[in-house]
Amino acid sequence: MNLKKLLYIDRRIIYLVVAIGALIPIIRPIGLPVVPTEPVIGLFDKLQSLSPGDAVIISYDYGPSSEPELNPMSAAILRHCFHRDIRVIIMAIFPLGGVNMAIRQLERVTGEFEDLEYGTDFVNLGYKDGGQAPMKAMAVSIREVFPNDVDGNDTASMPIMSKVQNYDDVKVVISLATGIIGEWWADLVNAQFDVPVAVGCTAVSAPKYYAFLRSNQMIAVLGGLRGASEYEELLRRNFEWAREVYSDPDEMKQSATTGMDVQSIIHVIIIAFIIFGNVMYFATGKEKGR
Amino acid sequence: MRRTIPLVLTFLVGMYPIFAFFVPHATVSGVNQWLDKALVIVAAFALPLGVVNLVGMNLEKIKQRRAGWPYAIVLLAGLAVMAYFGVIGVIKGDTGFHPTFEVLFESMVSPLQATMFSLLAFYVASAAYRAFRARNVEATILLVAAIIVMMGRIPFGDMLTGGRMTPLSEWIMNKPNAAAQRGIIIGAALGAASMSIRVILGIERTYLGKSRD
Repeated sequence: MNLKKLLYIDRRIIYLVVAIGALIPIIRPIGLPVVPTEPVIGLFDKLQSLSPGDAVIISYDYGPSSEPELNPMSAAILRHCFHRDIRVIIMAIFPLGGVNMAIRQLERVTGEFEDLEYGTDFVNLGYKDGGQAPMKAMAVSIREVFPNDVDGNDTASMPIMSKVQNYDDVKVVISLATGIIGEWWADLVNAQFDVPVAVGCTAVSAPKYYAFLRSNQMIAVLGGLRGASEYEELLRRNFEWAREVYSDPDEMKQSATTGMDVQSIIHVIIIAFIIFGNVMYFATGKEKGR
Repeated sequence: MRRTIPLVLTFLVGMYPIFAFFVPHATVSGVNQWLDKALVIVAAFALPLGVVNLVGMNLEKIKQRRAGWPYAIVLLAGLAVMAYFGVIGVIKGDTGFHPTFEVLFESMVSPLQATMFSLLAFYVASAAYRAFRARNVEATILLVAAIIVMMGRIPFGDMLTGGRMTPLSEWIMNKPNAAAQRGIIIGAALGAASMSIRVILGIERTYLGKSRD
């Protein structure tokens, strides 16, 4: 067989292999075990250290393109907060659907909690345009930046907001971010106002955030689906309720743990293609592929 | 005059926060806080400016029948429909979202964006096979690091190596990667700072547009 032919595999064959590799774990989940790492444990420990009634901000800084990676992360963090009676202030800086992501996630998670009260236990402040401008102004007054919530209700009359004037009353900011927005929270809010910041990001953005993590400008980085599945694993290891939630078949379909099966297969396929491509490259006398 | 007033304004609003940072007096901070609030409003104007620019560019493209002009019609129609239902929702709706806006977002914007990014898996696999070659020492280092990190991000890696792949991958991310990223971030920050100084001092004036004086 001519080795050069193998160097020029039709890309449609590669696409077919990837498609089959993605489908198999969706049809029959494998359930590969994930080991939590230090960058993810940082956020878990921080939320564990908070007292009931403490407030955190979760900023939905992503859109539908990052949903598969960041939705499971968001659901796991919200569940952790609500189970520990931590007050959650939701907001969005990302214009292309950040607020829609927040609404969907709240609908998904809040139904699991009977006693949860909107305006007391959590609030959705909605989207604010201007990127870093509202972040900076929130240091003076969050209510002035968000006089109304996503439904147009007056935030000043909400019990949750009466206890939270500005960043001084916020224990941690968690940005679920795509692109550069997570960096802004570290640059501006952590550096200038000393608020602990954690970022949940897409896998492609994760390497950038390690620099902020090492310089203690972030307390945690949850990188992509792996970060989300590690957080789910931490919840499962520590709480009975989490083991119940993540054993539900409907919930499992949307979980990062199931997504990791797909990611695992795809990574192995890509690595196999890279190795195969290099073997052919050397076998054919370093001929350039097409 | 058309350029002098914007230049003076830029200088004043650019210098004041720096001044306020070093002078934490209540009066000085008060004005600075007012500037921060004003910044939220001013920054919001970037959105309509972007829309005006986008509409202008695409109308021109349609007029001149440039390559891909039918897509410009789709873009403008999408913009008009989403903007219409978005604004109507804010004015009339109780929840801030018009039902049609939600349907369009959930059934068009969301799946279209998700599909576009899902395709990356296919392109990355194909591109990695064709381009990721150990052509020289640098490319080989990159190749080996990429494979370790990719294996470290999946449970298979640990299963194959008895749990060694995740710590190795984390070491690459925490040490060489963080060091390189730090260099890039510091470089970009210095560039942004020098550009800001140029703008504040009026040396960089391209943001004012072309002069007709």
